[in-house]
Amino acid sequence: MSQWAEERPDEDFRRILAPDGSLIGEPPDLDNETLIELYQTLIRTRTFDEKALRLQRTGEISIHARSTGEEATPLGTMAALQPGDWVFPSYRQDAGLLYWGSSMARSFAGLMGAEPETINEHLPVPEDEQPPINVPPIYVPLASNIPNAVGSAMADVLNDRDVVSMAYLGDGSTSEGDFHEGMNFAGVFDAPAVIICQNNQWAISVPAHRQTASETFAIKGQAYGIPSDRVDGNDIFAVYKATKEAVDRARAGDGPTFLECVTYRLVEHNTSDEESVYRTDEMEEYWEERDPIDRFETYLREEALLDDETVESIHDAAREEVQQAVNAAREVPMSDPQRMFDNHLSTETWSQQHQRAELKAEREGRNPFKDFTGDGI
Amino acid sequence: MSSTIEGADRAQGREMNLVTAINHTLRAEMKRDDSVRILGYDVGPLGGVYRVTEGLHEEFGPDRVIDTPLSENGIIGAAVGMAMRGERVIPEIQFMGFFYPAFGQFMYTLVKMHERSAGEIDIPVTVRMPYSGGIQASEYHSESTETYLLHTPGIRVVCPSTPYEAKGVLASSIRSDDPVVFMESKRMYREGTEPVPEEPYTLPLDEARIVESGADVTVVTWGAMLRHAVTAANAVDADVEIVDLRSLAPLDVETILESVKHTGRCVILHEARRTLGLGAEISAVINEYALDHLLAPVKRATGFDVHYPRHQTEAAYMPDSDRAAAAIEAVMAYEF
Repeated sequence: MSQWAEERPDEDFRRILAPDGSLIGEPPDLDNETLIELYQTLIRTRTFDEKALRLQRTGEISIHARSTGEEATPLGTMAALQPGDWVFPSYRQDAGLLYWGSSMARSFAGLMGAEPETINEHLPVPEDEQPPINVPPIYVPLASNIPNAVGSAMADVLNDRDVVSMAYLGDGSTSEGDFHEGMNFAGVFDAPAVIICQNNQWAISVPAHRQTASETFAIKGQAYGIPSDRVDGNDIFAVYKATKEAVDRARAGDGPTFLECVTYRLVEHNTSDEESVYRTDEMEEYWEERDPIDRFETYLREEALLDDETVESIHDAAREEVQQAVNAAREVPMSDPQRMFDNHLSTETWSQQHQRAELKAEREGRNPFKDFTGDGI
Repeated sequence: MSSTIEGADRAQGREMNLVTAINHTLRAEMKRDDSVRILGYDVGPLGGVYRVTEGLHEEFGPDRVIDTPLSENGIIGAAVGMAMRGERVIPEIQFMGFFYPAFGQFMYTLVKMHERSAGEIDIPVTVRMPYSGGIQASEYHSESTETYLLHTPGIRVVCPSTPYEAKGVLASSIRSDDPVVFMESKRMYREGTEPVPEEPYTLPLDEARIVESGADVTVVTWGAMLRHAVTAANAVDADVEIVDLRSLAPLDVETILESVKHTGRCVILHEARRTLGLGAEISAVINEYALDHLLAPVKRATGFDVHYPRHQTEAAYMPDSDRAAAAIEAVMAYEF
């Protein structure tokens, strides 16, 4: 069994921007405006996560999984997409989704437990604010998004469309059958899918080396006949560049790519977790020095694209945006309990009609069990 | 609620068995709608191990009839992904007993995507799945484990009982924007024929049908068990009403209650194991909503709570007209 992930984390991956912010390779062709937007998105994401943590601690939301320390991976990968592409996210990809214009207020409302119908009703997304990429609801069962993304990509091949489908999973989820089945289909059908392994080295408390005896996660692509690559997931330039190559290849009809982005989960798995039980501060300190935001900020300051003043204003704007989003989410009224019955089938079933009535009776203080004929309460 | 209004004239048509009726319907629906695609292993040039997709690969090509890797979960997962992008997909699971690896994609995406997306994403997927025993195929090739599917909201589960029914129900399933599991009895595949109209028609997806009207006892059944119910009804000294469920989910509770309130007795006949088989739910709704009308306890004539047996003991496991008749006679003889 190899413990490469912990022992040799800096080796064997593509890197352009070193942890100290210096360039050690050719940066991707991104204009200054985009570079600043990427930086802003990193700050917005971390600010969003910090707020969500505080709201969880005060009981306003029940659970949240922060992406602290891994933001460059979802951001750099999704930034390489084009309008019209499809993303099948898991959790911890907020940075990429925010980059494409997902609504923070809707995210907070979801974290507060509102039913999706209630969110749509009270926080509708205006036509001109729809994100230009397509994003189904975040997949919670890990790796279950992979076969769907591959099916989506297969549909594009069958219809001769130049669209790319991108899906995310973690190091732990590579142990799920869904991952292998999806990868196998992607290879067999030459599907324009880009599958991202956001290797943050921990599946709750289980370290990456307990997930696989493979030397890297990237190497798993070989078995499926899928080109794979391995990059420093905290280096937004390397992540973007490798993804762009994969996306271009997929769009050109040259099939799928499996991309491993090596990063580190600097914080708890989610707000119900206590990471000090299973890992040491030394590792966190080691990875804090490799933080994706710090090195990018250093680089941008060196390039004179940022200074104290602009950094301060970006942080201020992010705090303001997050607070406004929280305020908007707080304005969403509690979901009507009847919403739980919505959108199961295209027609209302007998049991649904009767159970809706039972729930209504129960909430109105009437006894819901008095129907002895099936004709209703 | 029983209805054939959406159907066609049963007397007109070509003699078809279940295989030819399904094959004919798949062909018609593929001609009707270019987005209809078949997905599965052996569905291509072979035409399926039961030849249900015979000739379709040749006629529509490999982009419409797609042979896949041997991977049930991959098939359902890919079908859902294709459906999310506007395709109308008909994945084939070769045997219901081999569906279990696909349970993850079934639970996480097939039945749930529509609800999770607040109704914005439709999943028009019709999973064809041969079930039933009685063909000496042993164990996994003979199972009727629809209960695993029925506990889950967000899915339709249908099971036609004749070739005519199969055509109308399959056409409705394929055209539905809901995910559907379409159960096909292997025992019935080539067992008998009936006239099936050539022209397109649909049948309702959530309505049971009264096959025979009667005053003394209701037999609720579906799929391959229907013919045993009919044989039993003719053998017993009672006026039997036969309800063919057609749809197992959603359940047409209204038709069941109406019938049982009328007859006062009920026998449920199904091939699946008894414990938590659909008969348990049917019995429960009768108990909850028609108790005053009952002249006898509800009885379930079913398979036993065992793993599906090998062929030498299979016949003893399978419910048949004798078991159905015995159940009918028992409830007829019962006195409170």
